[in-house]
Formats: sequence, structure tokens, C-alpha cells
Amino acid sequence: MTDDTEFRQLLERLSARASSDYYNPYTTFDWPAELPEDEPWFSPELLSVHGTEYAERLTPDQLRALGRGESINFYSLNVHGIRELLIEVMRRIHTPGFEIPSEFFHHFIGEENEHMWFFATFCLKYGGRIFPEKRLKLSVPADDPVRENFLVFARILLFEQIVDHYNVRLAADERLHPTIRQLNRIHHQDESRHIAFGARLVQLLWQRLLETGPDEDDRRAIGRYLAGYLSASIGSLYNPAVYRDAGIPDGLAFRKRLLDHPARRAEHRRVLRKSTDFLRRIGVPEA
Amino acid sequence: MNDSLKPVVDWLRARNPALGEIPADLDLIENRIVDSLAFMEFILFLEDLVGRELSVTELSADQFRTLHAIEENFLAGEGSR
Ligand SMILES: [Fe+2]
Ligand SMILES: [Fe+2]
Repeated sequence: MTDDTEFRQLLERLSARASSDYYNPYTTFDWPAELPEDEPWFSPELLSVHGTEYAERLTPDQLRALGRGESINFYSLNVHGIRELLIEVMRRIHTPGFEIPSEFFHHFIGEENEHMWFFATFCLKYGGRIFPEKRLKLSVPADDPVRENFLVFARILLFEQIVDHYNVRLAADERLHPTIRQLNRIHHQDESRHIAFGARLVQLLWQRLLETGPDEDDRRAIGRYLAGYLSASIGSLYNPAVYRDAGIPDGLAFRKRLLDHPARRAEHRRVLRKSTDFLRRIGVPEA
Repeated sequence: MNDSLKPVVDWLRARNPALGEIPADLDLIENRIVDSLAFMEFILFLEDLVGRELSVTELSADQFRTLHAIEENFLAGEGSR
């Protein structure tokens, strides 16, 4: 790695902040016995139907049911995403090549374990379930560890950036129950450190990858893969089971109509803006 | 090939136009007929087909690995219905 002084300083700052901001998640939250169903659980502007004619065709009851379902789906995606990132970070902590970030990894792992706990608790307590995982996460033996290291941390960062888009808006939405806002606010606080860390780490891992001399095609393939990862992540926010529970028939076809809808495609670009800007800035080719 | 598999084969073909015959024991994941990013779309399609919810974990991925496994695990009995 090139000059790592700046990376070390960033890690020291973030580790110090992680220590001073440390809270006991198990005593931090107010968990009311139930959340009122006549209030929204999810910001209407964040619903997967927002901006389309379908939003206008749904009854207020259906919109609230959709909001409950999409909120449980969103936290469920977090549970599954955290499982993957914990596995990947665990595989690398205190191994060659990760000497410098390992101290911060301890904070990261500890915090993510707690995030997984509060997201899972929310799902089970108020949704009665965690939506099952649909994405295939195979830990394949890496034939090119430098490439694999870059991709793993790039996926983690992009996932955290997408989640943060929602956390920030849900935390600020005064129409939502205090517990919902608190959950999202606290997650956002921890994630702002993870994202600052991840952006720097991914940039360094990209430089390391470039030092191995990938050709134009290799670099394009990586850009295509990450673009595919971003659209698969967006796709996971559209869950046919949630549509069914909200009384919308033929959830799979409904999902496809929404994913192809011009208003939704414009919204996807907004949700992904930080991620696509970041990839462009570090020089990952666009798909 | 059992008729119950036809929609699955059609789905795979639509996404891999260059694909010829798909042997029942071909590893769809290893051979990237369904890559990891398209897998969720594949699962949602299968759920719609079989009318129940499916879940994918690293430990259960083998259930989706070949046409044969998909038939055995999710479509058994549908062909004779
Ligand atoms: Fe988190
Ligand atoms: Fe995080």
C-alpha cells in the first residue's frame, strides 16, 4: 500500500469516536409492546410505489400495510446483509494485508452484531418474522484474492450507502413513531463511521488491484459487476410477498412494472447517487 | 424432461439465448447460467411458479443447483397433476 499515514490517522479518529460514542444497544431502545397500525411505519416517499400511478390506486389502508411490509423487508435486508459482511470481515481480521484496519474491524464487528440484533428484534417483535434471504451469497474460494478483497469491501460500502439513504430520511420523518426514528438515527450514527472507513479502504484496495495490472476488459468487468450489484440491491427493496400482504394481486408482475417505471428508475438513480459518484471518483469504469 | 420443468427451462433460456439443451444435472450456478446477482430474480420466479415462499442460504443453495434438484425439491408431483 502506498503512503498509509493518512489512512492510519483516519482509523485512529474513527476508533476513538467509536469508543466515545459507544452505547449499550440492549438498554438503549424503547420497545413498545406494539406499534400503532393506523400510523405510517415507513415514509410514504420511500415506498416502492411512490411517484407512480399505482400509489394513487391503493387505499390508505393498503398504503399503510405496504409501509409496514416494506419497513420489515428493509430491516430484514439489513439482517441478511450484516450476516454477509460479518462473515467476510471475520475472515480477514488480523490476517496479512489487513494489519492496519484490524483494530477498527473490532469496532465494526461489534457494532454490526448489535445492528443485526436491533433490526432482527424489530422484525420479530412488530412484523412477526424476518423475510427470508433471496440473494445467493456463496463464499467462493477466491482465485484472485486482491480482486476478491476489493469486491467484498466495495459491496459492503455500497450496501451501507444505500441503507443510509433510507436511515437518514426515516430518522428525520416526524410522522413516524419515536422507536422507528430512534432505530434509524442510531444506525445512521454508527454507519457514518463505517462509510467514512469503507470509502477510504475501498479506494486503497482499488489502488492495490490496479497495481496488479488488470487490463481494460478486467476493469470493465468489475464496473459491470458492481453496477449489477447495485441494481440487484435496488431490486431487493421490491418484495412480491410484501405486495401480496398489502392485498396487491400478482406481486411478481407488479414488482416488474414498478422496477421498469420511469419515475422509479429516476428514484433509483437518486438512491444510488452517492455510490455511483464514489465509484466514478476512484476510477471504476461505468458499466 | 418433465413438463413441470418447462417454465424453468424457458426462463433460463430467455436469459441465456445462446444456451442449447440444459442437462438435468448441469450445475447452473457454477456454469453461470444463473449468476449470483440474477439469483434473486430466479428465486422470485420459482416462488411464483410453485406458489410458496423460498429462502436461500449458503447451506441450502444445492437445492437450486441443477434442474434435477429443482424438480425434486420444488416441483415434485406437479408434472402428474
Ligand atoms: Fe450496520
Ligand atoms: Fe455498517
